[in-house]
Amino acid sequence: MSEPAAVPAPSTFVLAPGPHVRTSESTATIMWTVNAALLPAAAWGALMFGFPALAVIGASILGAVAAEWGAGRMMHARTSVRDGSAVCTGLLLAMTLPPRLPAPAAFLGAVFAILFGKMIFGGLGYNLFNPALIGRAFLMATFPLPMTAGWSPPAKWISHVDAVTTATPLAALRERGIDAALKLAGGPESPLAGLFLGIRPGSIGETSVLLLLAGGAVLLLRRIISLTIPLAVVAGVALVTAPTGHVDLHLLSGGLWLGALFMATDYVTSPTTRNGQIVFGLVIGALTGVIRIYGGYPEGICYAILLANALVPALNLWFKPARPVFAGAPS
Amino acid sequence: MPELKTFGRGGIHPDPHKRDTAERGIEPIDPLPSEVWLPLLQHLGDPSVPIVKKNDRVVRGQKIAEAGPSGVPLHATISGKVKPIDKRPHPTLVSAEAIVIARESDEELEFPEDPGWRELGTGGALERIREAGIVGLGGAAFPTYRKLTLPEGVRVDTFVLNGAECEPYLTSDYRLMLAEPEAIVEGALAMARIVGVRRVLVGIEADKMPAVLALREAAKRVPHEGYSFDVVPCEVRYPQGAERQLVAALTGRAIPPRALPLAVGVVVQNVATAHAVYQALRYRKPLLDRVVTVTGPGIVYPRNVRVPLGTLLERVVEFCGGLRVDTTRLIAGGPMMGRALPRLDLPITKGMNGLLALTGRGPFEMGYGPCIQCSRCVDACPLGLEPDQVSVRVEAGKVLDTEPFGARECYECGCCTYVCPSGRPLLQFMQVAKSSLRRATSVRVTT
Repeated sequence: MSEPAAVPAPSTFVLAPGPHVRTSESTATIMWTVNAALLPAAAWGALMFGFPALAVIGASILGAVAAEWGAGRMMHARTSVRDGSAVCTGLLLAMTLPPRLPAPAAFLGAVFAILFGKMIFGGLGYNLFNPALIGRAFLMATFPLPMTAGWSPPAKWISHVDAVTTATPLAALRERGIDAALKLAGGPESPLAGLFLGIRPGSIGETSVLLLLAGGAVLLLRRIISLTIPLAVVAGVALVTAPTGHVDLHLLSGGLWLGALFMATDYVTSPTTRNGQIVFGLVIGALTGVIRIYGGYPEGICYAILLANALVPALNLWFKPARPVFAGAPS
Repeated sequence: MPELKTFGRGGIHPDPHKRDTAERGIEPIDPLPSEVWLPLLQHLGDPSVPIVKKNDRVVRGQKIAEAGPSGVPLHATISGKVKPIDKRPHPTLVSAEAIVIARESDEELEFPEDPGWRELGTGGALERIREAGIVGLGGAAFPTYRKLTLPEGVRVDTFVLNGAECEPYLTSDYRLMLAEPEAIVEGALAMARIVGVRRVLVGIEADKMPAVLALREAAKRVPHEGYSFDVVPCEVRYPQGAERQLVAALTGRAIPPRALPLAVGVVVQNVATAHAVYQALRYRKPLLDRVVTVTGPGIVYPRNVRVPLGTLLERVVEFCGGLRVDTTRLIAGGPMMGRALPRLDLPITKGMNGLLALTGRGPFEMGYGPCIQCSRCVDACPLGLEPDQVSVRVEAGKVLDTEPFGARECYECGCCTYVCPSGRPLLQFMQVAKSSLRRATSVRVTT
């Protein structure tokens, strides 16, 4: 034994219960990954709809972060804006808003989203409803006209729609029929390709199904979300809208993919068991279809998710995780 | 390669950290300790009763304490003089009565072979195992003779040998399987004989394929007509080595909540225990040493060390080059289910399969955030329990509402805490709920 002498050892050690190792994943890494996954679709919105859209995004994130920081200080919250969840709420809210909404309204909506959608319940983890959608519902009630009419057409270099303002495909479908709806989608090939790529009027972050799917794929690969809820939502929409014969248009327009991939999958406001998640997703999809066809608004995913959020505590009680089943004693 | 066996739901894949010691054979500690502390309680059951007194001379291998009613006897692990029997620091009991021996010579009792050992009846074999002081060496330290004594009317058909070693860092079972494969096979077959079964299944995680091959080869050399002996590689997945998960992987049987493997006709024993049982049956050799994996970022030279029981941790650490100055935590066992130790002047006990020196702050010291209901803990729980729901109810003071979420069934593997992105001590919330529910039930029963 000719090894170097032992270094002086500390005489007492930290006593803590196990496990003594943990994953490197944290709430902050999850939230910032979600934010990154949202970025391509949000950037596409800014590209299509120009500076006003960028102003809405900036104002919304600013409002959310400011409200979270202020309320957090007053509440002595143990969470921090650095965990990325306030940025996430602000960004998500902005992506559901029309590009021509005045930026101060977006700011106000984000403040409301954080204060009354999240902090009033106790902050991160305790809210019943999706905060971004609470913010959107608030803006629908307080700024009904800018929230529903006068949509920006996509940028002129890629679109054939030549107007200052226009309608969304879902609104056109509702009022003037399928041909009017398809005319609003631009792009190189068929109108459906235009819808898929996001060359159409709409909310800032909802238009590009392609980029939303890309962001969703990142979250799937990083195992931040699973396919359960998005598939159930899409299945619900397809089932309910099937009798109209326009399933393809319904699946490619509105905020379906933004909602299904990034909002219905919000951990805090979705069920924790697989079967509960299936029911939750189907309810969202079905309600979305029902509101679109029979309701007062052309798009329904926002209210569909908010209504389904209210079911979550019950779904968590009703549905249990699969348990190993007792079997196989020797005869 | 055929599909690896594993359990149904849950589980995690922690960083294995086995590289530092997996290629290091078992090394006997050198020099031998000048003193050992042998606590009278190193097992589940009643403490042993000393039969030596101060200033007695004892020889390694000699019995120094008789078994308590449900316990096992204790033997001198070095030769020398008995010091006053009094309270000493203890790794799990804080402080407990221990027999202290100061080494004076390297004498050892001889343990000649009993040529008729294979023909021992069940009673004789159990007596020998008990007299050898053998307890479960995988960590639980339950007296082995008791686990092999079947309750009236219970029938078993499978003996499972646990070589999974699913805890990160630990490689002591792996090295023992490579060093003593025949003794382990013999021990397993002997235990199968005791419980009257003819089917032996050995579960080993697939990161230890050399051990799988070594045991398969050894089984060819050990006579076992009438017995089936299969070595089954299992997926590397924590907690593969938990009895419930291993039995599910190897037999497809699910043990009912809070029941023992006996409920599905299975007896499970660890490979190191099988080795000790073989020594006890063939040579009447008591349990004197054990193999400990000494590793972690705080250990200068990580090793697998064979140490006499009762050796102080400071001697073991010294043999491994000492502790690095940035060591902050000392763990007995693996990092998932092991216990934090406060100091180095503690004895190696029968159940201690690893000694980890960790650096930096541990998960528990980092503090934690609110539950964001991500359901990672639900997905990771091998039993399908809901630690998230339990934890928020415990935080809200509604401990008795946790029953529907399975708190009582938790066997504390720690997967939930490991995966929680908010760093929540979910396992501890489960423990709080479990003990409160247990108390509440006992009150209901007595009133």
